[in-house]
Amino acid sequence: MPATVQTRDPRWVGQGIPRVDAEDKVRGRAQYVDDLLVPNGWHGHVVRAPVPHGLLRGLTPDPAFDWSRVVVVTAKDIPGPNCIVSHDRSMPVIASDEFLYAGEPVALIAAPTLRLAREAAEHLRIDFEERPAILTLHEVADQFKHNDPALVKLCGQTIRKGDAEAALARAHKVVEAEYTAGHQEQLYIEPQGLVAEPTGDGGVFIYGSMQCPYFIVHELCEALALPPEKIRVKQAAVGGAFGGKEEFPTWLAGYVALLALKAKRPVKIVYDRHQDILYTTKRHPVWSRYRTGLNRDGTIAAIAVDFLLDGGAYLTLSDVVMYRGILHAAMGYRCDHVFVNGLVARTNTVPSGAFRGFGAPQAIWGLESHVDAMAAAAGMTPHEFRLKNCLVQGDTTPTGQVLKWSVGSPAVLEKSLERCRFDEQWKKCSRGKPGAKSWYGIGVSFFAHGAAFTGDGEARIKARAAMDLDWLAPGRPGGIVRVSSTEMGQGALTVLSQLAADGLGLDLSRVSCPFPDTALVPNSGPTVASRTTMVVGSCVYGAAGKLKKALEQFAGKPIASGKEFDEIASAYLNKHGRLRVEHLFVLPPGTQWDQKTFRGDSYPGYSWGCNVAEVEVDPRTLGIRVKKITAFYDIGKVVNPVLAKGQIEGGLVQALGYSVMEKIGIDRKGRFDASRMQTYIIPTMQDIPEMDLDFVEFPFDHAPPGAKGVGELPMDGLAPAIANAIEAATGLRMRDLPITPEKLYEHSQKNLGR
Amino acid sequence: MRTVEDIEIRFPGSLAEALAWQADEKTRGRPLAGGTDLMVQWESGVAAIPERAVSLWGLKELKGIRETPRGIEIGAMTTHTELRSSPLVREKLPALAAAAATVGGRQIQNRGTIAGNVANASPAGDLAPTLLITDGLATAASASGRRDIPLAKLFTGYRKLDVRADELLVSFTLPALPAGAREKFHKIGTRAAQAISKVMGACRVRVQNGTIVSLAVSLGSVAPVPVRLPELEQWIAGRRVDLNLLEEVERRASAEVHPIDDIRSTATYRKWVSGRLVRALLEA
Repeated sequence: MPATVQTRDPRWVGQGIPRVDAEDKVRGRAQYVDDLLVPNGWHGHVVRAPVPHGLLRGLTPDPAFDWSRVVVVTAKDIPGPNCIVSHDRSMPVIASDEFLYAGEPVALIAAPTLRLAREAAEHLRIDFEERPAILTLHEVADQFKHNDPALVKLCGQTIRKGDAEAALARAHKVVEAEYTAGHQEQLYIEPQGLVAEPTGDGGVFIYGSMQCPYFIVHELCEALALPPEKIRVKQAAVGGAFGGKEEFPTWLAGYVALLALKAKRPVKIVYDRHQDILYTTKRHPVWSRYRTGLNRDGTIAAIAVDFLLDGGAYLTLSDVVMYRGILHAAMGYRCDHVFVNGLVARTNTVPSGAFRGFGAPQAIWGLESHVDAMAAAAGMTPHEFRLKNCLVQGDTTPTGQVLKWSVGSPAVLEKSLERCRFDEQWKKCSRGKPGAKSWYGIGVSFFAHGAAFTGDGEARIKARAAMDLDWLAPGRPGGIVRVSSTEMGQGALTVLSQLAADGLGLDLSRVSCPFPDTALVPNSGPTVASRTTMVVGSCVYGAAGKLKKALEQFAGKPIASGKEFDEIASAYLNKHGRLRVEHLFVLPPGTQWDQKTFRGDSYPGYSWGCNVAEVEVDPRTLGIRVKKITAFYDIGKVVNPVLAKGQIEGGLVQALGYSVMEKIGIDRKGRFDASRMQTYIIPTMQDIPEMDLDFVEFPFDHAPPGAKGVGELPMDGLAPAIANAIEAATGLRMRDLPITPEKLYEHSQKNLGR
Repeated sequence: MRTVEDIEIRFPGSLAEALAWQADEKTRGRPLAGGTDLMVQWESGVAAIPERAVSLWGLKELKGIRETPRGIEIGAMTTHTELRSSPLVREKLPALAAAAATVGGRQIQNRGTIAGNVANASPAGDLAPTLLITDGLATAASASGRRDIPLAKLFTGYRKLDVRADELLVSFTLPALPAGAREKFHKIGTRAAQAISKVMGACRVRVQNGTIVSLAVSLGSVAPVPVRLPELEQWIAGRRVDLNLLEEVERRASAEVHPIDDIRSTATYRKWVSGRLVRALLEA
């Protein structure tokens, strides 16, 4: 076999190799931000607004306190415009004249000890005039329903296909319902933490726990009045993120950077769990209203959706969360008449933010609950209805995108239904039968998840990856992956190493994938949107292939073995020094997208999934036990099946918490009420059900070697599958997450009245 | 600004020394057992940070489980792990053993103690109902002597005990399960493990020829203190166990409690599920 062909044979892709960072983490060698020694470092502390909305009149330092021992930063100390450059410029780094949520920073303090910093904060009086506040999704949903002009819209967007209102008017049956879900906390193991150090050239070096190093550079350079190259950002080991370390670390970076620049020394802030829950972003609460029309033959005539997210106090990146939400709110089913009306409303709470799924789980929660309602109205079982109406290759999505390639539907649906014998089990459901010792129910959900950035995102960011040919160790040449994608527990470094090794056609030992440092890596975009393996991985694979080709040109012959690579690469490095090659992500040919009308190809490809949940409800207490989850996923080419399954298992547990446990409200002071792990209830090992997970591979040919996204997918469909199963078990349709025994009881009492 | 690190923690060599310290306001410290509640409360600012704490953890006099003519005597520093694994407790006080096995996780069970659980006086303390159904005693000691307190009178209000500042809880004496009686503990928590109770309860019941001779039933997390249900207990004595009775028990138990809304559950659910729980305790 010719050597050039052999190198294109995947050797590492498809193998469930152990994580390349596993040993460091298991042995405790990995350095998280709070493990790092910061010589001469001070601790930072944030002084926060005491009520959810107010006009800031001033800050009065207590003259009895010795202020010479600490450094205080207020909005006046910000060298540039007081804003974080996110999707708009509305959010200040530190509130100056008005604050919009309880806990919004009004001042920053650094001191040699954390205790002194906190003590100083107690001696700083905040003078303010309290203003009225809107605190809950419930309030804004009411405003929306009643066209109340008091509703503050942060942004809006619609999707139109055909004429949904006319089709509803003609429909044989109309099915209407509302669905809601509250906040969800990411609850990564490692809380938020960053260090900033002034650099000699007037710049700043920021390092610590984060997902998106380049976000910090771009979002802070205006406020710090520094050119991007003077803000260097480096990721330390990260103990989980789930979206919680996407945009939030920029805020924290602002605090430590301002303090470090004023104190002229390193400053560190690491939140404790309580602060982390109180003052960082969470999943957007959602209210959605579905009005759908059915034809006589059980096909869908129209889908009209209102999709309202509680954005919290500022826009941040809520517009794109809502975009992903509306793009998934009517996705997955054949329908010629669709109208989706998305908007984000302001409440006086911590800005809602990125969390695994990014709006899609909120949309799919409503949609897949509602599909069961449509099936019932059509006189069909939930699985028959889905099999009849699901999108397949050649069909058109709500934005008019034709599904031309890599369509794992109906495969995931058919396989899941078959694996769990859905049809048989469906007939055994208890439906609240009196006198039973236990109520059994089974429920299904089916969904697509747009892989990579929404809409024009990938076209705008133009993601790049680089491969450096360099010495890994003296006498040992190899390829170094240079991307801004981060390892946060999901296995990115391993998967990117596998792709780099296959691109080079070499053993894994000749590849290295270090933590990103903006001084050394190109911008391959943030580590979000299930895009890393698909988009950045494909760039790494492409760059590695180019690197190999360059070496082959240099040598004038193909490289057939590791030994040959070592010889040729050493000769190259000795003669020319380091070699960098880059590869750019290119959208599939013919991709069209209109960001104004939301018509066209909203994502380059879709992953597909199906979840079946089997539940037992205790008729004595209405306690809910999820007993088993059966799930099939099409994530394209599976690069590392062990890590992919790990992602799915972990994500399903997170989705289980969202479905039946994780309840967090706003207290009278406008703060999150379940603000400790004592009160914010997540699943334990004892709560985790049996899982039967598998893949069907429909590779995505436009991003070799064909992976699509996986990271967010497990969060998408479990909640509606559980709600559908709970209805099958109890006869009660629950439309608000999380579904708790308390809500089941309340609902059962209402039903008794009928 | 005081933190946990500022607390002076003193380690007495004997119970007598600890009692001597507690007798004097100048040397008195907050009694500290396993620390599983206090450390968290201090750290989170829920409880005031004291000047001093007196660690009772190492006092051998406060350890051990033994059978006495008055009942099973359990030293104050007996851990949940010891309770759940003691053959004596499992046989003679099965509800207590069952309750101890549901407290926190294993690490908490290795540190948390019976006296700590009681002295924390949380309405959600999992052991309290299983103690109350025994009609047993708590013993408090001070430099001037010992005093037995009927458990029924120990809990005086939300997070309040009938124990003086100079006293320490030293043991519990709990009458063993009589022949022909049975005990049960049931907990409704927020999840399958590591859960704080929404409602939990225990009963000790004696049934003869299908008729209830006596019932002691207690619930936690439904009132400021763990409670017995005296009206139900009085009403039920001498009645036959059948479906009608169980339905009436459910109704009466639910009517007899007046729980509140909090972060873990709602008053209406708690009230309803209290009836369900007591019924489940009585169902064999």
